[in-house]
Amino acid sequence: MASFFKQKRQVKQREKKKEDESQSQSKTPDYIESSLSANLEIVKKKTGKSPDIIIRTLKIGINPEIKTTILYVQGLIDNPSVTDFIIESIMKNPHLSKNILPLEAMEIISEDVVSLGGVERVTDWEKLFLTLLSGDTIIFIDGVNVALVASTRGGEKRSIQEPSTHLTVRGSREGFTESNGTNIAMLRRIINTPDLWIESMKIGTVTKTDVSIMYINGIVKEGIVEEVKKRLNRINIDSILESGYIEQLIEDQVMTPFPTLNHTERPDMVAGNLLEGRVAIFVNGTPFVLIAPALFVQFFQSVEDYYNRFDIASATRFLRIIVFVISIVGPAVYVAATTFHQEMIPTKLLVIVAAQRETVPLPAVVEALLMEMTFEILREASLRMPKAVGSTMSIVGALVIGQAAVQAGIVSPAMVIIVSITAIASFATPSYAIAISARIVRFGFIICAGMLGFYGMILAFIILIVHLCSLRSLGVPYMTPLAPLNPKGLGDTFFRRPIWAFKERPQFLTNENNLIREGDNQRPLPPESRGMKTSDGKKGEGNES
Amino acid sequence: MEKANISGYQLFVLIFLFEMGSALLVPLAGEAKQAAWLVILIAMVGGFLLFFIYYGLFQYYPDQLLTEFVRSILGNFLGRIVAFLYILYFIYLAARVLRDFGDTLLTFAYPHIPLFVANAAFILVVVYTVRKGVEVLTRTGELFFVLENLLLMTFFLLIVASGMIHLNNLKPVIEMSGTEMVKMAFTKTIFFPFGEIISFLMIFPYLNEPKRLKKIGISSIAAAGIFLAIIMAMNIAVLGVDLTTRSQYPLLSLIQSIEVAGFLERLDVYFLFLLMIGGFIKISVFTYVAVTGTANVFNVKQPSRLAYPVGFVILLSSIIIASNFTEHMHEGLGAVPIYFHLPFQVIIPLLLLIIAFFKNRKKKKGQHQNKFQGGVDQK
Repeated sequence: MASFFKQKRQVKQREKKKEDESQSQSKTPDYIESSLSANLEIVKKKTGKSPDIIIRTLKIGINPEIKTTILYVQGLIDNPSVTDFIIESIMKNPHLSKNILPLEAMEIISEDVVSLGGVERVTDWEKLFLTLLSGDTIIFIDGVNVALVASTRGGEKRSIQEPSTHLTVRGSREGFTESNGTNIAMLRRIINTPDLWIESMKIGTVTKTDVSIMYINGIVKEGIVEEVKKRLNRINIDSILESGYIEQLIEDQVMTPFPTLNHTERPDMVAGNLLEGRVAIFVNGTPFVLIAPALFVQFFQSVEDYYNRFDIASATRFLRIIVFVISIVGPAVYVAATTFHQEMIPTKLLVIVAAQRETVPLPAVVEALLMEMTFEILREASLRMPKAVGSTMSIVGALVIGQAAVQAGIVSPAMVIIVSITAIASFATPSYAIAISARIVRFGFIICAGMLGFYGMILAFIILIVHLCSLRSLGVPYMTPLAPLNPKGLGDTFFRRPIWAFKERPQFLTNENNLIREGDNQRPLPPESRGMKTSDGKKGEGNES
Repeated sequence: MEKANISGYQLFVLIFLFEMGSALLVPLAGEAKQAAWLVILIAMVGGFLLFFIYYGLFQYYPDQLLTEFVRSILGNFLGRIVAFLYILYFIYLAARVLRDFGDTLLTFAYPHIPLFVANAAFILVVVYTVRKGVEVLTRTGELFFVLENLLLMTFFLLIVASGMIHLNNLKPVIEMSGTEMVKMAFTKTIFFPFGEIISFLMIFPYLNEPKRLKKIGISSIAAAGIFLAIIMAMNIAVLGVDLTTRSQYPLLSLIQSIEVAGFLERLDVYFLFLLMIGGFIKISVFTYVAVTGTANVFNVKQPSRLAYPVGFVILLSSIIIASNFTEHMHEGLGAVPIYFHLPFQVIIPLLLLIIAFFKNRKKKKGQHQNKFQGGVDQK
């Protein structure tokens, strides 16, 4: 018998130990206590007594028995609303002057006193800290185990400015800021429908970053939102510091130089994409909003294409695609032609090129790689260095590397021209993300061209096409609508259909039941009376005089 | 079988590019002289007949690959052997096309590069593609289809613009007798390129609209046949019978003769482009088919893993297949049609179709009787 009890006791002790351990691991209890001092102690312990967390004890009206404390984080709150609508009104509210119990005081504060938009009751610490650290004000009342949370988010933010990427001549000058709320509001202002749906979540175990997905209900294709949510929920990482984190964690293929999600700073671009059935992902702390799914052709579209008339827009878009091809194959063609296929070059030009290359000690491949590397170094340096030394850079770049290298006979002038054209071409692509991929792919092409001439180049081209065709963005093939071919979608690829002929939304992105985007007969026409044939008796209308 | 889904248009494009592939470049039915284009068209009709054999087989087993239904028809043991022979046949064809391709490349542009290097570089690209699966292959085909057609249209315009077409070269239209032409069409041209469509029996099951297969198959064969006939007629009209039949690559001679406006000349690179697109699609299809077939017969779960070994076998056989180009061509025109194409493209499929017909008729009868009996029982 004795041994039996002994055993039991041991088990009990073990259990007790376990409980103790688990308690010591999670030091704070789950729920708010009713004692004010205990609560404040917990807050101080949890935040390491950080001085920016302001703890202010107040007297309720003329009632000295009930102690109240408000908590907020300096800099995250909107100062006037805390001072005017919380502190002042708690101190001076006539309702609180009577003799009341703490619980009643709480009721009165939440219903009568705090004249702010949102007041919530919170009982668990986790939520309390989350709201406190995102700029809300917490009100503790002694003797009540519930805290009030008043939404006072505010603080310093960057104002709305013109975006620094995706510049346009014509179009809105607004760019996103770092604040999610502001960004979402900007979209609300553009798309004025209750169908614009937003879902929010916190990602990042430490940073708890606000991430919102936005889409237009009814236009978005079924499944895409679920897929995005599934991928976002899968993320388990300590921090999200920029939308690039999200991009790298939810893309379909990892091993590719090409961007499979688009990002932008322009609200009008997001709006246009939402209206085609895409999903936008807003991440707090960055002005770059992700757009998914992204297609290859999309990276050659600029919002301005849709603001300009279609002929001009189509011409510029065609130019961009040519420019993209140049930025990939430019130096490679030169290398292949001068090393392997001299017969391709017209004789007179060949003589000039050959004369220039006579003094150059390096083979064309090495020359091209050297110059491309130099250009990449210049570009990277000019991006990162302080603005004050910018002029030095340009002098060094232009004189030393351009002029002097040619005069010294290390590179041929033709090579400098080729590299410069490619460099300019790579900046003429509207999307920075795809311009970078072109730059990386270019090196591969140069090496292939140096080894096997045009044969190598065409092999590289085939690999490039196969690779592009193998990519997907959120399940949509990357080369849609080119491959798989979608004849209706072609109207927005190499050329842009006139707006009045854009009858349908792209069916590979949009919900099939909601494809029609404009009415019939949208084509504008001159007034009928101006026509040659009309003579319905009304004088004066049809006359030029 | 991998999980894939290809549309009717994609299949059309793939068959078209496949047929055009290397046939575009060689003097197809060159011995028929002026009537070459006519022989191609006759062979095209023969191609329809072959396609109907394959289509018949497909209809009996619409969701099985060639290597699978061979086993359903002939039983596991014999079926496996035949399926394996087919895999060898596809590997051999891939090696042949690769050799054709490599030799062409070396002859006309890169005399200094070893054949092995040229072929190895190419097979690497093919293996990369095959590893990505049939969907990627068809999507790539779609883009190349546009590219190839653009190139061909440009050539056509340039040739017309440079005023080199002499229709008199095509006369007399019918020098040979009708039987001679038919004999030629059905002994040579039908196997290459039309009969090679047998490899698509490994791709047809992926089609997402099997009911349209007949239309797609016929139209793509017809499109390819007509295109080839036009090209061959153009070759003869520009170069003359003599030069066309003697030239290894009449299309290259044709392209080299283009000279417009004083600067559009020496367009060899475009020939290289056509050559590579055609060769790429053809070798990729054969390699893909060989890889999935091997995976299927030997129950390999991830077919893409076989891409490298099979690619390596193709590369090596493309080198050792013949000691020089003349031998290679001699084999291709003499032994291959009789000993490889005829049994694998015509005799075995025909036998399979007959056996399948009897097997399935029995089954259907059985089902019918069962139904009837069931009806009686219910009463």
